[in-house]
Amino acid sequence: MRYLMLSKTQDNQPDEKLFTEMAAFIEEMTASGVLLATGGLDASGFKLTSAGDQVTVTDGPFTEAKEAIGGFALVEVRSREEAIEIGRRFLAIVGDGESLVHEVFS
Amino acid sequence: MIDIRATVGVVWKQESARIIAALLRMVHDVGLAEELAQDALVAAIEQWPVQGLPDNPGAWLTTIARRKAVDHLRRSSRFDGTDMEPPDSPAASSGDDVLRLLFISCHPVLEKPARVALTLRVIGGLSPAEIARAFLIGESAIAQRIAAAKRTLADSGVAYGLPDGPELVGRLSSVLEVVYLIFNEGYSATSGDDLMRPGLCLEALRLGRLLATSAPDDPEVHGLAALMEIQQSRAATRIGPRGEPVPLHEQNRGKWDRLLINRGFAAMLRARSAGAGKAPGPYVLQAAIAVCHAQASTAAATDWARIAVLYDALARLSPTPVVRLNRAVAVGFARGPEAGLALVDELRADPVLRDYHLLPGVRGDLLLRVGRVAEARRELERAASLTRNAAERDFLRARAEAAAGRLRPDVPAADAAADQFRSGADAGEGPLLGAAVDDFLGGLRPVTAQAYRKSLFRMRRALGERTPLTTLDPAGVAAVVATLWPGAAPRGWNRHLAAFRSFAAAAGFPQLASGLRNRPVERAARSPADSAGAHDPWDRVDVAVRERVLWLMVRESVAPIGAVLALDVQDLDLVARRGPGVSWGERTAARLPEVIAGRTRGPLFLSDRRPAPARRPAPADLCPETGRRRLSYERAEYLYKQATGHTLRTLRP
Repeated sequence: MRYLMLSKTQDNQPDEKLFTEMAAFIEEMTASGVLLATGGLDASGFKLTSAGDQVTVTDGPFTEAKEAIGGFALVEVRSREEAIEIGRRFLAIVGDGESLVHEVFS
Repeated sequence: MIDIRATVGVVWKQESARIIAALLRMVHDVGLAEELAQDALVAAIEQWPVQGLPDNPGAWLTTIARRKAVDHLRRSSRFDGTDMEPPDSPAASSGDDVLRLLFISCHPVLEKPARVALTLRVIGGLSPAEIARAFLIGESAIAQRIAAAKRTLADSGVAYGLPDGPELVGRLSSVLEVVYLIFNEGYSATSGDDLMRPGLCLEALRLGRLLATSAPDDPEVHGLAALMEIQQSRAATRIGPRGEPVPLHEQNRGKWDRLLINRGFAAMLRARSAGAGKAPGPYVLQAAIAVCHAQASTAAATDWARIAVLYDALARLSPTPVVRLNRAVAVGFARGPEAGLALVDELRADPVLRDYHLLPGVRGDLLLRVGRVAEARRELERAASLTRNAAERDFLRARAEAAAGRLRPDVPAADAAADQFRSGADAGEGPLLGAAVDDFLGGLRPVTAQAYRKSLFRMRRALGERTPLTTLDPAGVAAVVATLWPGAAPRGWNRHLAAFRSFAAAAGFPQLASGLRNRPVERAARSPADSAGAHDPWDRVDVAVRERVLWLMVRESVAPIGAVLALDVQDLDLVARRGPGVSWGERTAARLPEVIAGRTRGPLFLSDRRPAPARRPAPADLCPETGRRRLSYERAEYLYKQATGHTLRTLRP
């Protein structure tokens, strides 16, 4: 089963240690075949809204910046528990924050 | 709130390979390394609920496990303190450690099933119960297989270092083979009701990805990774809503997993750059074929010419029957169905493929395309009867019925096919082989039927249960039968033929057996009973006449001991010297009356005593005249052993 993990933007500034630990973590997850894809997201982005026939485009950044998604990871795991453990280890590296995790239907 | 117990289990699955691998460097024994790792796990179960989960549970477990390993080495006084890192230093390279462990778990000293089980256990972190479920075998069998594998590794003193030079090539190919075996068992389950076991595919994909990062210099490693990623990309579309297989050219390509295809393409690029200047190996070639399919936006756009060329190369490299069969499929598309059919027909004489359902399946498809519909239908039916997979069987039956133009539009294919199959023979083509064999066996006495059943079922399976007898010919029968018992001794072979001759004659088609040739039987005395010496056991005066006649009859008739013991007095033809499934020679005939002793019915060979009332046998095993029971195999075996020291089997050459 696959899970999409979305991490919300963190307040704390990334330092050298975080980068090193995160690189090692990503390398480990890639080598073990768990991590299929990952990436960071531009905080500003834009928003598409559809109402009736009308589609409007709103450029970011958005005011509620704390809710913005800062990065994603697509993992392939054996169970929900495995997904939880991977998310926990991710948070242990980046510090306080929130991750949203959704199973991806195949 | 995170469930600590569940986390411990998950962490074990994710980390056990790295922990065991790190320990293996210290203790050089897979079984011991696993035990120490599990000791660390026990510590985790005790401490984590109190102290909380560590940030990096794998590192925590490794540290504890390494301390336990040091303790163990100190205790067993093998610890000399020089060639070992202190326990708290970081692992040299965890990737290399795991690769080393993988080389050990796939070591050629182990049988293939043992390699598979041990690899899933120590690298995949699966429990014996999980492995047993995946392979539909008993848990204790898997546990024993793993334990035996560890013992074998310990006993044969295998080297624990990474292999290099020429050894590396062979060792690596064993690893790749095990990984692909696991993948294939998941991808096309060879038995059971489900066509796929996704869990095994995932394990194999993980192993393949692991290999690709830890042994990146070998093109075949990337070839295998590419092959599995691309095959897996079609997982969702290769099974239809009714659980039936969907052929590649009928799959909905829009639902192929682009992410996995792209990963496959990327792995293929790595394979190409790692293998620059070298001839591609079998996995790279198979991956290249998979890439061709993945690149075609429609089935019609498939570059069959290129695929056929790749299969030509693959068949030169590893001309296994399955590769040659796939090549025939590709050639059938690239160069016409006749060309494909010619290649398939070459394969029909190959004993390896005799029970492989895809051979008649492919042949049926090609026959359909050249318009030989009746033959096509029979081949598809034969394919259906050969597969052990339920979903595939239904699918093949449906295709067979569709070929016959019998498919009613208002009935779903599989149902119609199943009905048709159950309803038995259809008009026009006369009796079918399957039903004819059943009729024949049903009309025989149980003992005789027992003797013939195995031979006839084997032939029936190979010739096709739904093959009408009228469509068989002597040469075709002979060609198929020739593949069935390649290693059979002449006597065994002749018995199989005799069974078919009886059947063909009884069914009214005696000419069908006319192409079968007996093999000459060497009369050389080779059995221990003969070589044992001066006196033949049946000439010994110190042994009761019953035993002596029994032994003589077994020797002269060469019939199964069970068939001889099953003889009844009323079924003996003393003039023609035979009974059901047994015919004997002069010497037996001369002494037989002593055993019959005037009886007219009941078992020929009787035990010495009457059975106790509580242990009355079936009426057929009880002599109505003496009240004694039929002599049992066990008792007969015991008596012979007492007299000669050999087993009854040695009486039969």
